[in-house]
Amino acid sequence: MKLGPGPAAALLLAAAATALLADRIAVIGALVGALLFVCLRAPAKRLRPYLFFGLVSSLGVMVFSPFLALEGTNVLWSGPVVPVLGPLDVTVEELAIAAENALRLAAVTLAFTAYALLLDHDQLVAAASFARRSSLAVALATRLVPTLERDAGGLIEAVRGRGLELAGVRGHARLLSPLVAGSLERAFNLAEAMEARGFGRSGRTRAPGAPWSGVDRAALAAAPLLVLGGALWL
Amino acid sequence: MALARVERLSYAYPEGGAPALSNVSLELRPGEAVALLGPSGSGKSTLLRALAALVPHFHGGRFVGRVEIAGLDTRRARPSDLAGIVATVFQDPEDQVVMTRVANEAAFGLENVGTPPAEIRPRAEEALAAVGALHLAGRRTTDLSGGELQRVCLAGALALRPRLLLLDEPTSQLDPAGADEFLRHVGALGASVVLSEQRVGRALDLCARVLFLEEGRLILDAPRGEALDWLAANRPAYLPGPELDLPEPAARGEVMLRLEAVEFAYEAGLAVLDGVDLEARRGEVVILEGPNGSGKTTAAKLAAGLFQPQRGKVTRRGRAAYLSQDPGRYLICERVIDEAALAVGGDQERARAALDLVGLGWAAERHPRDLSSGERERLGLAAVTVAEPDLLVLDEPTRGIDPERKAELARWLHAYAARGRAVLVATHDRGFPAHRRISFDKEMALAA
Repeated sequence: MKLGPGPAAALLLAAAATALLADRIAVIGALVGALLFVCLRAPAKRLRPYLFFGLVSSLGVMVFSPFLALEGTNVLWSGPVVPVLGPLDVTVEELAIAAENALRLAAVTLAFTAYALLLDHDQLVAAASFARRSSLAVALATRLVPTLERDAGGLIEAVRGRGLELAGVRGHARLLSPLVAGSLERAFNLAEAMEARGFGRSGRTRAPGAPWSGVDRAALAAAPLLVLGGALWL
Repeated sequence: MALARVERLSYAYPEGGAPALSNVSLELRPGEAVALLGPSGSGKSTLLRALAALVPHFHGGRFVGRVEIAGLDTRRARPSDLAGIVATVFQDPEDQVVMTRVANEAAFGLENVGTPPAEIRPRAEEALAAVGALHLAGRRTTDLSGGELQRVCLAGALALRPRLLLLDEPTSQLDPAGADEFLRHVGALGASVVLSEQRVGRALDLCARVLFLEEGRLILDAPRGEALDWLAANRPAYLPGPELDLPEPAARGEVMLRLEAVEFAYEAGLAVLDGVDLEARRGEVVILEGPNGSGKTTAAKLAAGLFQPQRGKVTRRGRAAYLSQDPGRYLICERVIDEAALAVGGDQERARAALDLVGLGWAAERHPRDLSSGERERLGLAAVTVAEPDLLVLDEPTRGIDPERKAELARWLHAYAARGRAVLVATHDRGFPAHRRISFDKEMALAA
């Protein structure tokens, strides 16, 4: 049976929280595996940028944090002493902590990916019986990622259409400012359209949603238990 | 009794500059359909905003005079108070969609105005059916084409059963058949309608009364027959025919572009183009026409070299340039002149000449985002043509452009082709003059 978006969001949030709270690397690794399995249900084209970001940021933590941390006694490599940063050495303990943190970051990223790509945000907003405005703001902000991706693609295409190519990081960085300005303009236009459509007026109603199933209730109950387990035993 | 009354309205946006509206007075009667015409930047969108109370509440600025809708004074009633009585469909559908699913988007306004829950879904579905979009109800709004999204936006407005419907160039992304159908639905509503349109023929078919704005002033408010006489005498470009006075065509020269048996699909198994052949020669203006989703834009991108064919062959001679249908993609630099100079290595002299040609010389030092949508379209054209490409490919270049500018654009493109270049234009605009027209159909085969 298909899980409703509310309980699914609660489970994803619980999985991310558990990854942050758990101490055992095997548990965190298992959570990453489970979340990756869930994410693979999303269309590959939409999933790719999220996985790329998750992989790069997790690898960044894995590679760079041992140089910056000062933990452990089993030294694998000793480097020079750098002002402000201190000694650039790498220990076994630092590597273990870096691996744990990288997996934690991967779990959080994958949970967000599943939330962004697989859940029906309209139903989530509808399910929010309180703080509806905040829920809608979160849903719209989530939609910003694919919108930015599409806008960036359009800008690059238009530049190519003028016979130019954007080369390297510096070339692409040039798009950052127009992308941000475009997002602000879009947000302004959207806010205007929402106001014209009565958003914010008192006496709001909502269309009846699908009733919750037994699986939905069980998933919602399991979410806090997962977090508790992560905090106390895992 | 009037449904809406505008009395001596003058308005200036908070950014300053000339007033967007000056001393405008009019009345709208229940059930009346009114065409709102005028050049880009004449104040049409601002007048619609004033009728929805978005001016002054959302935009601020200096507001003098009075607007009353169904007895509510907009100086006190907010836009959200008027929602349900007034519904607005804005120019760009992508900037007004709130929800992820089409059915929920159509229901959004109904929920906001407190419609009884049991009525929300049936009314949203009824509105979607009325605009021929019920089959889209379960789809994601992000997966829809511009034309489909425009229908969904209209459905969201119709679901409210408004007494006053404000439409700001609502058919700009629709093909001719889709636009006719869209306006037929609007005509059948029975509500008062104010329709701002640059495709004037359609607006005049629907509306019994015409308003003409220029530089913020209402210079014509007349029944259709009288308005047609006035337009013929004063603004002939707004009426169909006579034929434009175009430059003498050059002799058809060598082939500049050839597509041979080209196939292309965005997703495996869903071919957009299947075995397409076409060519464009020096001295020619060639139109690609066809309904939404027939592959015109894809063919244009293949022609310009932005896409590579999955099968078949594309050959080009000389340098190609492509103008996107979204003018927001030509807003990278901080000044209009820099934007136009981007493709010529910052050569400001050439950029200034290109801006003069599209009538934007006055805006050279302004920020591109300060331009109106019609002006942005022209900036895009200048940014693409500044390098004088041998093959110029334009995707919907007349979107949002008023008839006088459109006639100028047609003359300019024909003159450009006469200088020995080839011009390929993908457009819904049936009236745009060309040496040759190539029709695409939805079955992916080239019909002519």
